[in-house]
Amino acid sequence: MSRTLPRRLGTALPVALATLTLAAVTACSSDSDSAVPGGQDKKPAEASAAAAVGVAPDTAILPGSTMEKIKKRGYLIVGGSQDAPLWSQLNPMNGQVEGFDAEMGRLLAKYIIGKPEVKIVSSATETREALLQNGTVDVVFQTYTITPKRAEQVAFAGPYYSSGQAILVKKGTTGIKAPADLNGKTVIAGANTPAVTAIQQLAPSAKVVTFASDPECLQALRQGRGEAYVQDQALLVADVKQYPDTTVVGEPFTQDPYGIGLKHDDTAFKSFVNDWLRAIGQSGAWQAVWKQTIGTVVEGNPPAPPAIGSAAGS
Amino acid sequence: MDVVLRHWSAFTDGMTTTLELTALSFAGALLIGIVVAAMRVSPVPVLRGVGTVYVESFQNTPLLVLLVLFVFGLPEVGVIFPLFTTAVIAIALYEAAYIAEAVRSGINTVPVGQAEAARAIGLGFGQSLRLVILPQALRAVVQPIGNILIALTMNTSLAAAVGVVDLTAAANRVNLLEAQPIPVFVGAGLGYMAVCALVGLLTNLIERKVAIVR
Repeated sequence: MSRTLPRRLGTALPVALATLTLAAVTACSSDSDSAVPGGQDKKPAEASAAAAVGVAPDTAILPGSTMEKIKKRGYLIVGGSQDAPLWSQLNPMNGQVEGFDAEMGRLLAKYIIGKPEVKIVSSATETREALLQNGTVDVVFQTYTITPKRAEQVAFAGPYYSSGQAILVKKGTTGIKAPADLNGKTVIAGANTPAVTAIQQLAPSAKVVTFASDPECLQALRQGRGEAYVQDQALLVADVKQYPDTTVVGEPFTQDPYGIGLKHDDTAFKSFVNDWLRAIGQSGAWQAVWKQTIGTVVEGNPPAPPAIGSAAGS
Repeated sequence: MDVVLRHWSAFTDGMTTTLELTALSFAGALLIGIVVAAMRVSPVPVLRGVGTVYVESFQNTPLLVLLVLFVFGLPEVGVIFPLFTTAVIAIALYEAAYIAEAVRSGINTVPVGQAEAARAIGLGFGQSLRLVILPQALRAVVQPIGNILIALTMNTSLAAAVGVVDLTAAANRVNLLEAQPIPVFVGAGLGYMAVCALVGLLTNLIERKVAIVR
């Protein structure tokens, strides 16, 4: 007793403090995130790719494991976004969260539970490591780049997607051809996206200006708040379709392996999720999801899914 | 907390921006607020109307909406200021509505006899306000204005959503790299707490110095 009480206080107090300060400091830093509190996504995506993949054999759901806990609960809790076009965006018309990450979450839920029941906890961008550590969410599907630093805090299954950051400029802009050209310029990036760190590494003297969402970044670029906008290439392709006065320069200049965030040290769950990733890569379900989401803006055939464990930290 | 120490310069840069944002928008808010309060007690109905409309419209709009409107809306009509300036203007206009109400309540604490005496010795409305009423009114509302300054300090964190790299934005960026939200945001929170505690202490000090014992 004399040992447990202080220890419990020791963890409870910082968490309570952090929740308070989080509320004060970041409550509205990403407005669109918190605009819709984690809506339950009930509409089954049977018609879509989820139908193509099976359900995990009962032997894979180990007793006492995270998988069993999720199966008993009846839905999967995903840390994700509701404002990331192509990846995980709430469609206000039907209440469905649409995109590659959202669809992957449903596929995983179907694999564990038998039906694509997913609850998305949003506003996870700033706090996803904490949400995984304290068990608020089971998994994170949120364009979550695997880095060794992050792998110290959480575990990563995958990578399940290999993304690349590219540069968008207004048509007629000269002098920006490669990432190094961004030095000394004002560059727009989405807050909490991998672009922020990528720019800081490749063009250290660039001034990075961040906005909460892709539409805001795009608007800022078109209004001249920066000379370039760095973002995931697939998103930029979609942006150019919407606004032909912008153009993507060159090829993607980074390789961002997106991983599925899991609780650190939950090795059973990690190998379970990796098995599932291999299964959907082979069955063609992964490719179907790609076609249905990113494939609507990027031309050509789906790429091969990245090899499991190929990224440092996964 | 060694994450905070490792990225100390990012945090101090962010803190500097937060302090600049706070100081400039507070100065603006104080000026505008006093003018609006004067309008609201003026004998001219049009001025009173304008003052009331100002207070009601800015007090009843969320600051984030104002910031987004100013940052993305103004360029659409050809007015484009740097992000920092835009944030200062939006926060100053917003907080001015609160200051105006605090100052107005201060004006109401000044006994009517003071205004009558000012009028009796031949001062006009502007003169009596400036020389007799406001000096007493402001001394009565040091505490409420201090509270508004504390709220304003916290509110500056919303500027992070529109691209200003203040303490909140700096914390976001450090967290993106380090993936340790709790120490990072607790660190930023302590920064805000320190600023606000200082404001609170100063307010108490000033209040004790200038309080009017009636």
